Amino acid sequence: MTSAYKRVSGEAVEYEVFARKARIDPLHLVGSVVAPDADLAMAYARATYDEERWCEMAIVRKDDVIRLWSPGES
Amino acid sequence: MSLSDLVLSLADNKQMLGLRYAEWATRAPSLEADIAAAAMGLDDLGHSRVLYGCLEPLGADPRGPERESDPASIRNLAYFDEPWTEWSQFVAANAILDTAFTAMIESCVGGSVEVLQHRLRKMLMEERYHFLHGRSWLRSGIEGAPLLRAWQEALEFFGPPDGETERLHQEGRLSMGPAELRARIEEQLDTKAPDVTIHWTVWDPLRRRTAEGAIDEATFGMLRGLEEKKYAPPTAKQAAS
Repeated sequence: MTSAYKRVSGEAVEYEVFARKARIDPLHLVGSVVAPDADLAMAYARATYDEERWCEMAIVRKDDVIRLWSPGES
Repeated sequence: MSLSDLVLSLADNKQMLGLRYAEWATRAPSLEADIAAAAMGLDDLGHSRVLYGCLEPLGADPRGPERESDPASIRNLAYFDEPWTEWSQFVAANAILDTAFTAMIESCVGGSVEVLQHRLRKMLMEERYHFLHGRSWLRSGIEGAPLLRAWQEALEFFGPPDGETERLHQEGRLSMGPAELRARIEEQLDTKAPDVTIHWTVWDPLRRRTAEGAIDEATFGMLRGLEEKKYAPPTAKQAAS
């Protein structure tokens, strides 16, 4: 599976952004950012999704997510 | 030059950096970069408020009435005198000058002055993302001229090797002097500062710069609230007068 984003540059990839508000909550997907590297993706994720008081935030390259099936395939 | 003078310079520079960042909130190369510019602008404007708030506890607020009429009384680096016209100016400021200000804040937090130790610590967490943003864009490659200028002004901001900033370091009020501050940002950015000639004889110890000049008229008016009055309806103008 590959991300088809080419908007920023040919090397830009999509990162999924996960966060949670409390330790007892599971991390959940809050959105995504497009960036050419993980450093910039972290800066973008923090800038874009920082309105809430998250106790944890993490990013994952969308390409690194192993999907068992997708909508319409189950 | 006192520690209060240094903190006021830091506050004024943070305020101007925040304003210049914010000017790019709809002009950056991508939507993510727009949002980052807006967020970093808000961060730095917030940091400047905290720094201004430290002046009274430090015991000597150096701000005088001249700040209402003389743009040159604002103690910002020349890099912020005019709005940036190129993205590379943004990146150079983000990577070099923002990192230089953060190094100075680290020096305050690591020094012996309690109010600075406590109040400035949170800024360092927020600045981590400014650094990542600036370094990443810097690595993507930018024009040399703004980069050289940013380095020059960062080193001017740190002050001469044997000046008052070094004295504050020797006294323990700052944990780093000019040499350590320079080494700190070189280490962080994984590069050596370029060879630049600084004429310390014309260096202004309050504004921490060698260049003459001041912020543009529109920005100065906005800082003083004059731009706001210009757009107020006539009835509000009469009430205010």
